[in-house]
Amino acid sequence: MLTFVDEILLLMLDDEKGSFLPIRESTMGYVLAGAVLMDLAFANRIDTDPSQLMVLDKTPIGQPLHDRILETIAASNETRDTKAWIETISREATEIREQSLAGLVENGILESQEEKFLWVFRARRYPMIDGRAEREVKLRITGVLLSDETPDPKDVAIICLADACNILREVFSEREIHRIRPRIDQIRKLDLIGREVSGAIQEIEQAIMAAMTHAHH
Amino acid sequence: MMNIGEEKADNVVVISIEGRVDGLTAPDLENRISEIVDRGDVRVLLDCEGMTYVSSAGLRIFLTGARKCQLNEGKLMICALQPDCKSVIETSGFHTVIDCHDTREAALAAAS
Repeated sequence: MLTFVDEILLLMLDDEKGSFLPIRESTMGYVLAGAVLMDLAFANRIDTDPSQLMVLDKTPIGQPLHDRILETIAASNETRDTKAWIETISREATEIREQSLAGLVENGILESQEEKFLWVFRARRYPMIDGRAEREVKLRITGVLLSDETPDPKDVAIICLADACNILREVFSEREIHRIRPRIDQIRKLDLIGREVSGAIQEIEQAIMAAMTHAHH
Repeated sequence: MMNIGEEKADNVVVISIEGRVDGLTAPDLENRISEIVDRGDVRVLLDCEGMTYVSSAGLRIFLTGARKCQLNEGKLMICALQPDCKSVIETSGFHTVIDCHDTREAALAAAS
């Protein structure tokens, strides 16, 4: 079964080129950190409220990196909120991404190709060889956003992550996104971890905008 | 710690929740809602007058329950939230996907 980290990475990849869509590194970090926390929350290992993130059960879930992060949270002596943990875990984004990609390759969903460019530099691409998993995620997203049905919490979580890194445009046209924006906004509020991921990304974007405005003057 | 009471009012099953609905107690609430819906009672009211705390895990169970009722052509409603819990529900927008009423009477009137 795919984790939220796996699912959001599949959406972040350009299926044909096998390269990542243009997503700011800090944004990808926060989204992957949020996905790890969602995996732990849905496995009943952690719980959250607006002021703290709590460990319910230290039993590993069988994903090495998730389990190491769970151990770190459990070993922490201070009470920290979800946003603080998202910021801490985002520093491990590269490892989270690489571990998930390796699993997706091992499961025959992606293939790993190394290519050289400018004769010297190497880049790794991950073209999709079995699109069923990604299609299923996209179907779940469209099913929720194009209806008034009460959503499944798992679908809420993946929509939060996808909207936070602005990749719903891979599923819908710009016009459609504009039309369903009220529904997206309704859904993305329903998951606290997702809300904190979006909040952290917005703060960074505002800081960048402010810095750019300052530089102009 | 959470206690759950259950009674039937007209064709609505009222689940009274007392205490905390969090990651440790939410599975019990989920199981109870599932049992009720599986036996064919698809109109469920969560009376939260005695609920003192709700975490993300608790909110997820509200959503799962509401979805299960809806998929069975029923409805899940919430009533009598205390101010702290009401604030959590409203901040997270749950009141836009689940009908919330101030009192049990108002919820039952809306269901009839």
